[in-house]
Amino acid sequence: MITAEKFAAALGYWQLFLEGTLCTVVLSALAVLFGFIIALLLALMRMGKVAPLRWLATAYVELFRATPMVVQVWIVYFLSRELLDLPNFLLFGMIRFERFLPGVIALSLNSGAYLCEIIRSGIGSIPIGQTEAARSLGLPAGKTMRLVILPQAMKNILPALANEFVTIIKESAITYVIGVQDIMSAANSVKGATYSTLEGLIIAAVLYFCLCFPTSKIIAHFERKMSRGYKR
Amino acid sequence: MATRDKLARERTEEYLAEHPADTEALISVRGLKKYYNKGVIKALDGVDVDIHKGEVVVIIGPSGGGKSTLLRSLNLLEEPTEGAVFFEGVDITRKKDDEGKKIDINTVRQKMGMVFQQFNLFPHKTVIENMILAPVQLGRLKEADARAKAQALLERVGLGDRADAYPIQLSGGQQQRVAIVRALCMDPDVMLFDEPTSALDPEMVGEVLDVMKQLALEGMTMAVVTHEMHFAREVGSRILFLADGKLVEQGKPDEIFSNPQSERLKDFLSKVLI
Repeated sequence: MITAEKFAAALGYWQLFLEGTLCTVVLSALAVLFGFIIALLLALMRMGKVAPLRWLATAYVELFRATPMVVQVWIVYFLSRELLDLPNFLLFGMIRFERFLPGVIALSLNSGAYLCEIIRSGIGSIPIGQTEAARSLGLPAGKTMRLVILPQAMKNILPALANEFVTIIKESAITYVIGVQDIMSAANSVKGATYSTLEGLIIAAVLYFCLCFPTSKIIAHFERKMSRGYKR
Repeated sequence: MATRDKLARERTEEYLAEHPADTEALISVRGLKKYYNKGVIKALDGVDVDIHKGEVVVIIGPSGGGKSTLLRSLNLLEEPTEGAVFFEGVDITRKKDDEGKKIDINTVRQKMGMVFQQFNLFPHKTVIENMILAPVQLGRLKEADARAKAQALLERVGLGDRADAYPIQLSGGQQQRVAIVRALCMDPDVMLFDEPTSALDPEMVGEVLDVMKQLALEGMTMAVVTHEMHFAREVGSRILFLADGKLVEQGKPDEIFSNPQSERLKDFLSKVLI
């Protein structure tokens, strides 16, 4: 049963949880950042005129959406051990880099596939007249995309993006299987040290909630702010 | 694909040999065809048109007759299936000119302003930002100069106090006037209007037509697709009547409206209110 004593014991490892929270935040932020860059490239490839690039991007998206995250994480981890000679040092004095980096890569690659579809639908939602107006003024395709289409598309896809960001924070928990010292890994360590499983997990759940809930609220705020100019 | 393009190019060259472009004209169109669905739909089926500097060419005709397709082909928003479009003596449907220099469609489009039925203002930018975007981004003007120019243009169309408004805050007529001055901000050599008043409430049509009339009086070369027959008659220097993808008849407004020759045009005029 959950007892106050066990909870106190688990909370005694607060420093572990604090470090885990920091790790989860950095991990998710980097994954979102790189995932977004990958997704933007994929979306432009999929919507572009070069057929091989289109196929490549489509294959990538389908591959990552049709395989489990945990498998992707393991594959990236072992591939990185085979191919890269990752330095073994502590990031911020506590995060093991050779575990952390494969975690970031796997999460970025995965979210890139999902974000690609979101970005693509966002770009597709902008009326063709916007592109025509920009091109008729002499703006090249690249500038039209960057200055006219993407800013409007971003506004349309912000709710979906927020969802994906929150999803990444939650899914980053899976990286504890390769030894990334995130919140989930902290809960696991506490279990090993104190034999109290539930307490550690509940603390982990509370921490994840505290990260995810405000994130979605913050993005909702920006969404309202960005919609100015669209309302009378 | 490449072979089909090549064949189309060869046919175009053959056509040009017999029907050379008018090098004096600002725009000279020869043998222009636009097919959809592999030729099932022939939006344009061989059109020759010349537009000279200072002319106000009004394109009329039944819906689906190819008016908008012709207009949109002039700046290649619509890529022709076959035929040539010469702008200032250069065939812009080709990749390279005679000296092997690359033809940059973006540079050509800077000289051809276009106004759309649906206005197509950028909703995330204010009126003045809409206007200065292209001139500043394309290095034509410094931002301060572009702003001054845009403000002056806005004053001219009676919207001097709406520079910082967003498009959605404007009426349809105001939006279309902004769209016109946005195009003018690039100092185009010709203005293309694609049914500029068709999406407007009736009471706002006049304010847009007035701006266009003013522009015509100042000597701007214009090509206008419209259903406003009064405007065509009053402002147009030449009328083109397009039906079934072909240029059926053309002439001065008086000839076209008072003395139509073809049955197709007579039939069309009997159905529209003048």
